[in-house]
Amino acid sequence: MKVNPPDAYWKKDVTLFFSRRFALVIKMVYPLAIIGPVAASGIPEQYKAAVIGIVAIMAGTFGSGESLTSDLNDGILGRVALTPIRPQRIVFEVLAVNALLDFLQLLPALLVAYLFNLAPAVWMLAATFAVFTTLVAANCIGVFIANFTTSPADVLLYATAILFPLIYVSGFFRNQDPSGLSAALRDFVPFAYMNDALKAVFGLATPTTPLEVFVYPTLICVVVIFAVCLTGPKLLSPRM
Amino acid sequence: MGPNGSGKSTLLRVLSTALRPDSGAFRVGGTDSLKSPRVVRAQTGLMVDRPTHYGDLSGWANAYFFARAYGMAEEKAEASLTELFDYFDLAEYRDDKVKTYSYGMGKKLALIEALAHGPRLLLLDEASLGLDYTSQLAYQRKIRDLKESGVAILLGSNQVDEVESLCDRVAFLHRGRLIQEGSPEELISSIKGVRRIEAALRNPVGYGAVEEVPGVARVVPEGRNLVVHCEDRPGIVADVVAGVVNAGGDITDLAVRRPNLEDVYVKLTGEALLNEG
Repeated sequence: MKVNPPDAYWKKDVTLFFSRRFALVIKMVYPLAIIGPVAASGIPEQYKAAVIGIVAIMAGTFGSGESLTSDLNDGILGRVALTPIRPQRIVFEVLAVNALLDFLQLLPALLVAYLFNLAPAVWMLAATFAVFTTLVAANCIGVFIANFTTSPADVLLYATAILFPLIYVSGFFRNQDPSGLSAALRDFVPFAYMNDALKAVFGLATPTTPLEVFVYPTLICVVVIFAVCLTGPKLLSPRM
Repeated sequence: MGPNGSGKSTLLRVLSTALRPDSGAFRVGGTDSLKSPRVVRAQTGLMVDRPTHYGDLSGWANAYFFARAYGMAEEKAEASLTELFDYFDLAEYRDDKVKTYSYGMGKKLALIEALAHGPRLLLLDEASLGLDYTSQLAYQRKIRDLKESGVAILLGSNQVDEVESLCDRVAFLHRGRLIQEGSPEELISSIKGVRRIEAALRNPVGYGAVEEVPGVARVVPEGRNLVVHCEDRPGIVADVVAGVVNAGGDITDLAVRRPNLEDVYVKLTGEALLNEG
């Protein structure tokens, strides 16, 4: 399969990702630089899981949000939107390719974390999958935010406002044993399943089973992807 | 044609389906553009006034991406792009990153992207602005060829010479409204009693005195030269020349021409402003 010259939006993103060599090195190194030392350190396991989770959420949200707002600012995305490609398909491709590229950036760091904390294979697989679904969900948030601004700086601001409550509900730092409404809300946040799976990898007990880590975030992501793709026509319409 | 803010780009945005009109409808090749915008987009070639590209991709990769986005098969896209890159003298630079392109090269690339898929409707906004002379000739030849082959072309431009030589019909817009429409000949013949005096000067001069000459409607400096729009009355050329000389101008060449689209433009925008007043 030929990626360059690109004949699809996602191939264009892949080509650009690998063509900016310096940026590529930075993108591949920074997750390792953050997660590697944390995974090798003796800090409490719940914080190791939290650090990986935060890196995944931030990388995902800013990945598509920043690239989309940048393309919207340039006007190039508006031009692409005037081709016969469906806007929903463009948004889906943006989501899918950004989530995969973000995953590619995080994978070496994850493998290093697993090396330092050997766990049952099923939990390592579940955690890896959960990181991917987190990236998908975070990219969805990035695309959602891009509906309201063309400024990459605003993406940071809005993302913070959206992500903080979600991170709190997911139990990364506080709210470790939620109950009532908090527990009910937690079930709908994909980040929570990643947090549970990573905690299991680092040796902590979790009420979530590996099967739940595979099934529930997948269902949540399908719904969220569908909803975000529906914003395609608005997202790609000219900003006056 | 129309002054800045008259609605040329907005009209092209509406026709390209980027914007929905407040009211009304239009069809492209029989297809209702509001109901089936994607069908219309597939038949439309578009070049916006400030084209943008993916700077880290090559010119070829940009053009290929758009050609495929318009549904062209791989082989057809390659054949069409090869021909157009040759035609616009970009073949040598096709593999260079677009961020290294000059403004004019970027415009040529945008033209290639607009033409590659063989559109039935071509929407061009200030397409030739920034092109070098040779490229402008190539562009004009291509537009004429496309017109001969049955492509409908709508050109938004304020370059009078280009519009006069390329367009069958000219529409003047002012503040979002159509104020005049017709063939260039019809429009030019509609302004009877107008002359255009072009004076080439050795040095630039103040032209206030020329504006005071009875019958002079407007004086436009073009570098060191003056273009005088005036009534067609006996003796006016001598009066204008005297005005220029009195202002300290040393005339090296003088031409009295029939009105052109520029005079129509000046007349129409002036009338529109007067009507508003």
